Amino acid sequence: MSDDTTQPPPRRHFLRQVITVAGTASLSSPLAVGAGAGAAIAATNAGAADAPAAAPSPGLIGYESFSADEAAFVETMVNVMCPADQFTPNGVDCGLAIFIDRQLSGAYGKGAGRYMSGPWLQGKPQLGLQLPLTPEQFFKAGVEAANRQSGKKFGKTFDQLAPADADAFLAAIADGKVVDDDIPLGSWFNELVYPLFTQACYADPLYGGNNNKVFWKMLGYPGLPATHTLDMVNYRGKPFPGAKDPKSILDFS
Amino acid sequence: MIKKLEKRTVVIVGGGLTAGLVSRQLTAQGIDVLVLERGGDHSNGAEAKLPSQRDELRWDVRQGLVQKWNVQTYTLRHSRSDTSLPVRWMEAFLPGEGMGGAANHWNGHTWRWAEYDPTLRTHYTNRYGAKAIPANMPLQDWGVTYKEMEPYHDLFEKLFGISGKAGNINGKKQAGGNPFEAPRRGEYPQKPLEITEAGSIFRQTAEKLGYHPFPTPAANSSGVYTNPDGQKLGQCQYCGHCERFICEAQAKASPEVLLYPMLKERKGFEIRLNSHVLGVNYDEKAKRVTGVRYLDLHSGQEYEQPADVVVLGAFTMTNTKLLLLDKIGTPYDPVTGKGVVGKNFCYQTTSSVNVFMKDRWTNPFLSTGSTGTVIDDFNNDNFDHTGLGFLGGGMISANMFSGRPIVARRLPPGTPRWGTKWKQANVDWYAHSFGMSIQGSCYPHTENFLDLDPVYKDAYGQPLVRMTFDWRDNETKMSAYVTKKMEDIAKAMGADIVGPAVPRKSPFDIRAYQTTHITGGTVMGSDPAHSVVSPHLQHWDAQNLFVVGASVFQHNSGYNPTGPLAALAVRLGDDLVRYVQRPRML
Repeated sequence: MSDDTTQPPPRRHFLRQVITVAGTASLSSPLAVGAGAGAAIAATNAGAADAPAAAPSPGLIGYESFSADEAAFVETMVNVMCPADQFTPNGVDCGLAIFIDRQLSGAYGKGAGRYMSGPWLQGKPQLGLQLPLTPEQFFKAGVEAANRQSGKKFGKTFDQLAPADADAFLAAIADGKVVDDDIPLGSWFNELVYPLFTQACYADPLYGGNNNKVFWKMLGYPGLPATHTLDMVNYRGKPFPGAKDPKSILDFS
Repeated sequence: MIKKLEKRTVVIVGGGLTAGLVSRQLTAQGIDVLVLERGGDHSNGAEAKLPSQRDELRWDVRQGLVQKWNVQTYTLRHSRSDTSLPVRWMEAFLPGEGMGGAANHWNGHTWRWAEYDPTLRTHYTNRYGAKAIPANMPLQDWGVTYKEMEPYHDLFEKLFGISGKAGNINGKKQAGGNPFEAPRRGEYPQKPLEITEAGSIFRQTAEKLGYHPFPTPAANSSGVYTNPDGQKLGQCQYCGHCERFICEAQAKASPEVLLYPMLKERKGFEIRLNSHVLGVNYDEKAKRVTGVRYLDLHSGQEYEQPADVVVLGAFTMTNTKLLLLDKIGTPYDPVTGKGVVGKNFCYQTTSSVNVFMKDRWTNPFLSTGSTGTVIDDFNNDNFDHTGLGFLGGGMISANMFSGRPIVARRLPPGTPRWGTKWKQANVDWYAHSFGMSIQGSCYPHTENFLDLDPVYKDAYGQPLVRMTFDWRDNETKMSAYVTKKMEDIAKAMGADIVGPAVPRKSPFDIRAYQTTHITGGTVMGSDPAHSVVSPHLQHWDAQNLFVVGASVFQHNSGYNPTGPLAALAVRLGDDLVRYVQRPRML
């Protein structure tokens, strides 16, 4: 239930999280995946398997693409879409915001592989999006539009909404019920934001999301190792033990 | 300035599966072959080695092995009265790039089509009368019979070590195989892949209902295998990274494993990578081609490559494009029905349903790109179409191809899209569900065709290929009928939940993957009025130009195209040996 007196989630939550590097990472696992402004630290924390709700360290630190306002929006969004519960820590602690930021600042966000020649005409949705924007530009324009509509409805930006309001607002956007004159918010959410959310949860932790393989453990996906010729027979129709201890690219890098 | 190179005997455009097979036959006879491939060599890249090979985001979701849409895409309109728009990021089908082509990232399903497929017009006319084929369905016989193709199917299956169970050996039905199978001379080269739990559930129900389940014939190697050329396949490890991936264990039969390494050792063979073909030089008066023009992507230099014989072995759309660009043959005109280039462009009619069984462990990650159990009872004309109002059909299968977590999670209808309940549903159903699917035929329609887009250009300044395509009545009726059959099977399994079984409907949607089995545009046949190339794949308007690939199919059937496409390529190789020795209309 919505509760207007609830304290909104703290703005720029991410700043408080910086530099909480895991001390329990296995020595055999590599830690540094990058350097410089986007200093990247990957941690493999075996202990997290038993206590998913205990906040693990973030995999990567610091945003490359997001402004402070965009970071606040995305952090609120991923914590609403992935609340801390019996399955996983909250979305920020799972690395979901970092994942989205890195995807948008990288080749994907810059429109790699996307046909970007005009003329730009609008057509049926089945022909795909026809906007002269890169995914990063579209994402940011959508955040701005969603905040604009949130302001009209609630008198405050999305990151200031109580979790229940934020959740309902996202659902309304997904259902095409939040109309903005400038940006097609339904397409923005369903064709850009939502796929990034599920990728953030389930992609290899190499990319900064799915921190500590938390979603793979939750799901029972064993990850990389696969010499399953005998397993096909031995575990046909039975629980597969390897599903409890998934291995990512980081574990073999 | 364009630089002219030394003449070569046979130049093949596109370094994929067909080029590899044609080259195998030619170089065995010492004939000089040059293959021009726009992409590079994947064999030692991150895509072919652990751990980077197992990266779902990079190779699958972001399409790391697929044609670059910013360089070359297609435009689409659903009818001639629509304005075509470019597909800015394609999901529906995924042409490959690089040595091996789309056969690097294929699933591995390797079918022979029905015995009557190459003579489908005659078959339907004989069975249902001349009026059974609607006027807007330009079905044609291919000018070749299954019997003529059988030896080439046999050779290809041995070269690629196909795993399967025969259903029809020389006309004698075999228990456990496909009773509708075209007669084959012997068993598959390897035993079938292991059945999945989903396959077992499907098999049991299908048998109970009186259908005939069997394992999908697969290029994913069920054992360690050495082919007749001495080339080797590893044993499949069921890692669930086949389609959209390169097999790092060399256990998925592919041209870059079985053909190109061998060909590179052969005298007279050359593959030139990063060479994007821009056109075919055509002497209309002489009715001959003189060679091709291509761009060396590493230098930016454009070359003219003269040749005695040119073979177009690129992806379906590109074969058509090259003929249209250089005005070789008459373009199809949907108004008059005259002309042939771009005609009979077909896709494939797919649909699916998810099945949820909480007490069964389906372990989707223990799988290959071809671990399917399938029935052929409702495919093609394997059932009586009298009074149904459509022609064609589809295979129905329970497939388990991967447990890759970004895309291969199945959730019951009505599941919230995020939040704790969403996570709960992921936990509950990931290893307790599977998908059933239909791969259905798509017959030609007079209003489905390819031509050159009048507005949009590729990165080299050439027009994009324009698809005018939609699901027409025949296909939507077929899909409704066969999808209902699939739903009935799903409901007979004792599942906790059966997802919605939604038949394929207009409009054609490029935003979701369906299949990469695109056919037509340069169709084959014995009548030049209805075909671009002859039954020997020789261009009617240029004797020394040949076209090979699914682009020569007159229709698309409810099977994967690789079997007949490969058989035709091997046969073309043999035909070209004869042609090079004595050039003439074959």
